[in-house]
Amino acid sequence: MTARTKAATVPGFLVAHYRDFLLYGLFLGAVAWFIASGEQGMGYHWKWYRMPRYLVQITEDGWVLGPLLQGLLVTFKISGLSLILAMIFGLTAAIFRLSDSFTARLVAKGYIEFIRNTPLLTQIFFIYYVIGPIFGLGAFGSAVLALSLFEGAYASEIFRAGIVSIHKGQWEAAHSLGLSRLDTYRKVIVPQAVRRILPPLTGVGVTLIKDSSLASTIAIYELTQQGNIVSSDTFMVFEVWFTVAAIYLAVTFPLSMFVTELGKRMRTAE
Amino acid sequence: MTAITAINENRQEPIRENVRLGPEIISVRDIVKTYPGGLRALDHISLSVRQREVVVVIGPSGSGKSTLLRCLNGLEEIDSGEIVIDGVPLDEDPGHRLTIRTEVGMVFQSFNLFPHMTALQNINLAQEQVRRKSRKEAEETTMALLARVGLTDKAQAYPAQLSGGQQQRVAIARALAMHPKVMLFDEATSALDPETIGEVLEVMKGLARDGMTMVVVTHEMGFAREAGDRVIFMENGRILEQASSDDFFSNPRQERTRDFLGQILCGPVPGPAESTPNAKEQL
Repeated sequence: MTARTKAATVPGFLVAHYRDFLLYGLFLGAVAWFIASGEQGMGYHWKWYRMPRYLVQITEDGWVLGPLLQGLLVTFKISGLSLILAMIFGLTAAIFRLSDSFTARLVAKGYIEFIRNTPLLTQIFFIYYVIGPIFGLGAFGSAVLALSLFEGAYASEIFRAGIVSIHKGQWEAAHSLGLSRLDTYRKVIVPQAVRRILPPLTGVGVTLIKDSSLASTIAIYELTQQGNIVSSDTFMVFEVWFTVAAIYLAVTFPLSMFVTELGKRMRTAE
Repeated sequence: MTAITAINENRQEPIRENVRLGPEIISVRDIVKTYPGGLRALDHISLSVRQREVVVVIGPSGSGKSTLLRCLNGLEEIDSGEIVIDGVPLDEDPGHRLTIRTEVGMVFQSFNLFPHMTALQNINLAQEQVRRKSRKEAEETTMALLARVGLTDKAQAYPAQLSGGQQQRVAIARALAMHPKVMLFDEATSALDPETIGEVLEVMKGLARDGMTMVVVTHEMGFAREAGDRVIFMENGRILEQASSDDFFSNPRQERTRDFLGQILCGPVPGPAESTPNAKEQL
């Protein structure tokens, strides 16, 4: 019964939106034509058959990751570490901003405003060339620090919104039970806040993966930097950058979908 | 439900018969509280509560009765005056404040259970974090308290799975888990459906019978008559009248008190000379 109604609605959907489908097809066609004509005008020869070896190579030892996928692993490593640190910076800054102490609020406010009003690339250079040498921080450490400070500032706004959204009665109940401020945050407020802000927090993860491409500027061999090297070695500019973009997309798109789905579920759950 | 039925069976016995009042445990002297907008919520209030006494605070909304309660455990700061609870002054000293927060239990109108924790975890939390009990010790106390409020089978339920009356009973158990010296009830039944008000009132009467010191802000005149030792009538941040619960209802002295009781009991209240038969039944 349900199967039949479903079968009946799908063509109905196609018919109802046939104009949209037609337009979408035309649009894709136009994009393909634009790229094809550009490539012809340049006399470009596609060499897709040479691309796989930059993803995976078969040697006597078996399968080995090519430079692009090795770059992706570095991207994951930077993003993962930065995400953890960004959550710590973000939560700390949010709690400082909501603190009774004037000094704590000032420190948090200063951090957030400084980070949000200077370019990320400048921050990466600043940390790599100025802060890095002082503390003996290498390129990798500098990149992780810069990215986590940057995303932490944005995450702190998300955390703050989540914490503020928790009903005052929760604080009062914790107060009347004698819980300390730290325990109230730890056991009562943050667990509830995190549930509410999980969608935007995952969004920070997506941004982090994309922004980690800027680490290529301080000689870190992550995905973008590997793409750079391969494309200048082989002159397969189109193939390499299409592939690099597709790899980023393959990682971030499912994450973004997950965020959207999570957001929908949370809304219906509440 | 077993605890409730047990309480119901002894209903005929006067609740407060076997309770002997002890020395003063709450001393409030001349407190003033003004809200930022300039509203004077408490206007030179003084009050003394004895150990095991049940004091019921009534009055129209905005009279300052909830503010008074919230000042007693430091949820609101007072502008001037003095609050001493069981010999500990509520002053700037964080140690004193913590002692009072821990020793004074509070039950809120909107329950304020922690929604991400089960009933069991709600009641365990402060025992483990504040009293430093082991999980096992805490759970023993918790299960005993859940039995006392008739919710043994709801230990693993989340607040959203419980009715209002059940949530409020868990909230009472959570406050009791700290073995408080004083319990404050801030309109504990005002947010409840009529059919669940009774089960919460029964738990509160049970506490009164067991000799818990209680300050209760409520509109439930039946509870005030039955379980209260003393009734305080507040208006505009002042105590207008206070008397033993029997005197208060049978013989209200102030015109304003009579008006208020008349409104809340939906009928005329006789003057000082007469009595009010069955006022609570009309509720």
